[in-house]
Amino acid sequence: MDGAQVTPGQTAGLYTGAAVLRLAIATLLPALPDLLTGRVEISTPVTSFKRLQEGLFLYNHNVSPYDGGVYHQAPLLLPLFSLLPSFTTLPIFTYLLYIAVDLLSASALWRIADSGEAGSSALFSSPRRTKRWSGFVIAAVFLFNPFTVATCLGRSTSVFTTYAILHAIAKAVSGAPFGAMAALSFASYLSMYPLLLLPPLVLLSYDRQRPERAIRSVAKFAAICTATVAGILAILFQMSYFLTGSWEFLPSTYGVQLTLSDLTPNVGLWWYFFIEMFDSFRSFFLAVFWLHLSSYVGGLTVRIRRQPLVVLTLLLGILAIFKPYPSIGDTALFFALVPLYRHVFPLMRYTFVSAAVILYATCLGPAFYHLWIYAGSGNANFFYAITLVWNLGLSLLVCDLMFAVLRDEWEVERPEMVGKEARQI
Amino acid sequence: MSIQQPSPDNEAANPDENPVTVTETATTKNGAPTKKQPPPEKPSDVRRRSHIILSFWLIVLCLGLPIWWKTTTIYRADLPLQEMLDWSDGKACRPVFPLRISIQANGLQEQEAQNLLRLTQHALDDLNDFSGHHLRLGLAAPSTSDHYDSESVLTIRLLPGETTTAKFDAHEPVLDITYPPNSIPSHTSSSSPLATYVAGQLRSAFAEEQATISYLLSTNSVPSDHRPQGLSSDVADSLAKRTTRALKYAPTYHLTFSLFTSGPLPSSWDIDQAIEEYMKPVLNVLSPIHNFTIDTQVQLYATPGVQNQVLNKEDLSSFINAAEWPLSPSIGGAPTVNFIVFIGNQTIAVPSQDPDEGSAPGSASHSWLIPQWGTVYLLPLPHDTTHLSAEALKQPLLTFTSHLLSLTGTPQSGSLPLRLSTLARIRSADLLLRASSTLGSLARLALALPSISIPGRVADGVTKTIRHLRLACETLGGPEGLAHARIAEAEAERAFFEKSMVGQLYFPDEHKVAVYLPLLGPVAVPLVMGLLNELKAWRKRRREAAEAGKEKKRE
Repeated sequence: MDGAQVTPGQTAGLYTGAAVLRLAIATLLPALPDLLTGRVEISTPVTSFKRLQEGLFLYNHNVSPYDGGVYHQAPLLLPLFSLLPSFTTLPIFTYLLYIAVDLLSASALWRIADSGEAGSSALFSSPRRTKRWSGFVIAAVFLFNPFTVATCLGRSTSVFTTYAILHAIAKAVSGAPFGAMAALSFASYLSMYPLLLLPPLVLLSYDRQRPERAIRSVAKFAAICTATVAGILAILFQMSYFLTGSWEFLPSTYGVQLTLSDLTPNVGLWWYFFIEMFDSFRSFFLAVFWLHLSSYVGGLTVRIRRQPLVVLTLLLGILAIFKPYPSIGDTALFFALVPLYRHVFPLMRYTFVSAAVILYATCLGPAFYHLWIYAGSGNANFFYAITLVWNLGLSLLVCDLMFAVLRDEWEVERPEMVGKEARQI
Repeated sequence: MSIQQPSPDNEAANPDENPVTVTETATTKNGAPTKKQPPPEKPSDVRRRSHIILSFWLIVLCLGLPIWWKTTTIYRADLPLQEMLDWSDGKACRPVFPLRISIQANGLQEQEAQNLLRLTQHALDDLNDFSGHHLRLGLAAPSTSDHYDSESVLTIRLLPGETTTAKFDAHEPVLDITYPPNSIPSHTSSSSPLATYVAGQLRSAFAEEQATISYLLSTNSVPSDHRPQGLSSDVADSLAKRTTRALKYAPTYHLTFSLFTSGPLPSSWDIDQAIEEYMKPVLNVLSPIHNFTIDTQVQLYATPGVQNQVLNKEDLSSFINAAEWPLSPSIGGAPTVNFIVFIGNQTIAVPSQDPDEGSAPGSASHSWLIPQWGTVYLLPLPHDTTHLSAEALKQPLLTFTSHLLSLTGTPQSGSLPLRLSTLARIRSADLLLRASSTLGSLARLALALPSISIPGRVADGVTKTIRHLRLACETLGGPEGLAHARIAEAEAERAFFEKSMVGQLYFPDEHKVAVYLPLLGPVAVPLVMGLLNELKAWRKRRREAAEAGKEKKRE
């Protein structure tokens, strides 16, 4: 399928379909969104819609939203949501906002797919790049992915981060470094972890600069980009400060992510580890986990320098596994970018295994959580075991995708090896 | 953690001998595998691999190591260990109770009174064998004749009379001594029966206090030169018994009066009035030393732990039905003293054998004291009594009052004012010694466990304790002494039981392996192997480059 052949009617149809699907679920099954909001797989302490409402209530009553230690999200979300009609009386507007964000994410993804960056970047062109899915298909895969739909209906605020990241990438591939950096600043402001995507995003923007006003020196370009991000973040922090009247939001939002003070279970690997951790080693292992998470950035960026978009995709996958409060919304973002690599799918070796493991964990995860929390016949180990399986599946997929991309690069150097079996030694 | 080392995998996949990421096993037509030697690695790949390894090691060395150092070093605040040990060994403070006793002799000439005083002091010094407890006599100014001297512990009022008698005033710390006119010593006499008599009276009045304080000092590790000699073993025994019976010192005690009946009656009692009438006076005089809070309760259909008609000595300990009776152990942090009136006609077979039992023989067969806990009083009543009047509660409450005094550790002999001032001195000595020994334990703990963390709060507590101990030591015997000793003891306990310190107590170094290895081991293997391979390859390259250079030179 080729992207050029998509008519405006088809585009409108896709977006309408996705919107109608979400609205239909929300209106026909009004209990379902609330159920999804309460699920630990969708709502983490830093993205939960319930906590957002709590913060909103406090904010609207002129109390600091961070009093009570429930709300851990960025302060600027509060004026946005207090502009909307109250969720309890007119929920439709909240749904419309979330659906709009999802559609914007899809359109950003579409732009990324249409740029062809995945198949041929500035420094590398895959011989298989002709075999790819169009933006229409990739947007459709994203919009109709059950994880995306569930996250949207669960009204997790991670959708805003998702949109900001996709928008940043779309801006970068279309040769607008400033827009990319601004979008990344917003993503970092909302969730902090996207800051780790800065190095590959800088490289991606550098590679895709418009020739007429390109900056030749990488160091200079990187310095400008970093300064841009720092400046925009400073402005956002200053606005938050004026909004809440104190710097209290910094420890309550980013501090919670850094110190993992809320140990609500989620699909990640941190909570169980830090429940068991000796108190005196807690700060050390927090640092180890964060360093572990950030240590991938340098290595991957250097290794796959020629394809920065691959680095971004892989990093998003790694973050969906190893970040402190992951949810299936982060996985949905990773799954949104994976179809861009349709051309290397034939090189992947464990697609069946990883797909099966992910499906298995998707089905059993809620069941095990139910056994632990509601039925009482299991314990925390049940749920933790299934999150291990889930993350194993994701890790397999990340590794496999990386292997396929590297093999694709390698076959350009060694054309005589194409199609032959290879193994690492 | 299978994803842990994707990049190390890729870089480690370049072994130094075969510098290409992948070898392939091509299968020929006849099925025999043949191996081709991969082409040499490109210099750009080598450089890239070095960069990757460098990027990982930079994070480990620049961020990981400092963080490890900062987060796992054990914070040990400086403690004045030697000073703490000195306190616990009794070297820092020699507990001395200089007790001033003033003599009021309005009927005597100044000269005569001075003389009597000198002789009495001599007699006292001869009798005294304990340097820490020193009675010093002084002559009260005649102007204060109406009042007793509040500065001194005891005032002796010498009054002319027929015979030599001594009588304690019931409400004030005053000892009235009458003397026959001819017993006033002359200037020249070196001894006088009156002086000896006064000295003997004083000595007996303070004998118990002296014994108690010597006992306290002897049970703590005070060096022997300060320690009094000749504390006979049965005195020590009875003192030990009394000390264990008394509650630990607390500024506030909570008194719980409970009426338990085995049936539906009686269901009300005039406890408020009875307390007001029979107990309040004693509580009021105790108020400089302790505060009291009071609550009362009535419990119907309460079954005791033992249902025998006649209670043996062994039954007494299990009489309290701890499982069913609502006797809370302590309310609001203050220790609770329980006073229980049990309506029943059970009798006690063996009246208490304890010679120190302060209660009258009649009440002893109805009541017994439970050390550090309270008192039970068995009150037989006709079955149809619905209301307990204040008069009916008189005997129980008087028993409770006398038991309360012994539960607070008040000495048994002497007039009440004197007993109470003695109590204050005993308590301050006790607190001082206890705080000192806690300091010593803390110092020994800090020395014995080098891996224990000592937070700053502990050091603050120790400093505060030592400061208040010093003040208490200086003002020992007075009311400020008690206040300082109280603060010192509370601070010492808080420092010793610091929560964050206790958590690390039993954490041997071997456990650290179990903490570090499971996570850091798998992470470290690819990191270290990658670095080693890289170093090896680099040395090989250098050697080759050097050889190539030599070849060139030779040519």
